[in-house]
Amino acid sequence: MTENTSRLQRKLKRAAYLLIFGLAVEGITLHWAHPTSFLLFISLGGILVLAGIAIYLIAIVTT
Amino acid sequence: MANYAVATIILLSIILIGLLLVRPTITAAQGGKILAFIAFFIWPIVATVLGASIHLDNSKSTQFCLSCHVMEAHGKSLYIDDPTYVPAAHFQNNRIPKEQACFTCHTNYTMFGDVNGKIRGLQHIYVYYFKTIPNKLALYEPFKNRECLHCHANARSYEETTPHREMKEQLAANDMSCLTCHNKIHDVANIDKTKQWKGPVR
Repeated sequence: MTENTSRLQRKLKRAAYLLIFGLAVEGITLHWAHPTSFLLFISLGGILVLAGIAIYLIAIVTT
Repeated sequence: MANYAVATIILLSIILIGLLLVRPTITAAQGGKILAFIAFFIWPIVATVLGASIHLDNSKSTQFCLSCHVMEAHGKSLYIDDPTYVPAAHFQNNRIPKEQACFTCHTNYTMFGDVNGKIRGLQHIYVYYFKTIPNKLALYEPFKNRECLHCHANARSYEETTPHREMKEQLAANDMSCLTCHNKIHDVANIDKTKQWKGPVR
């Protein structure tokens, strides 16, 4: 395995954890009609998902 | 229904991402790269956009507004057993949809107003958790006739009633409030003294 591939997989792993956690938060908050759930959806779920996507995109472009 | 669709997308994304996490070598092949792009980019974006839209829709619901303890008395005021109370009469006689009762008459409130309204909505959450909630809740700006007229304007019961006909322009221009005459509204201060309607007989 080349160093590039392992670096890519490391970044993908990081993106995967962020996305799984972010999507789980989004999924849970969807079943709760409360202002706090909306806030959690945006400020925690949304940010984690966006961070995961950003890491993924950076990883495939730069590696 | 939409909730389940988004939940399915989220679940599929998590499963697919989990699979790619366990077997990262899949991404080496062309098909694996496409699968990764769907799992890491397309589905999370779709889930987030649709989820935000569902949340915005949920926030129009009566259940959402009354989910904060502080709004409990306002919720009770919809069940006052007295037809002279405007919100109660509208709610109990299906003049407004029961599941979106608050939003129908307060269309400019918090999440649904301008940028200021949205900032206020966030402040409400902050005050709810970290500050002392004021004893008396009040609207930030006087109730606008627009909220009444978006249903009542052009309605026969409104147009052909003498006081409305005489003041039509003033009411349309918001120079005189509908609440000047129709002044029995939520009355939360006396809510425990009012008789409560138990809901439709089943």
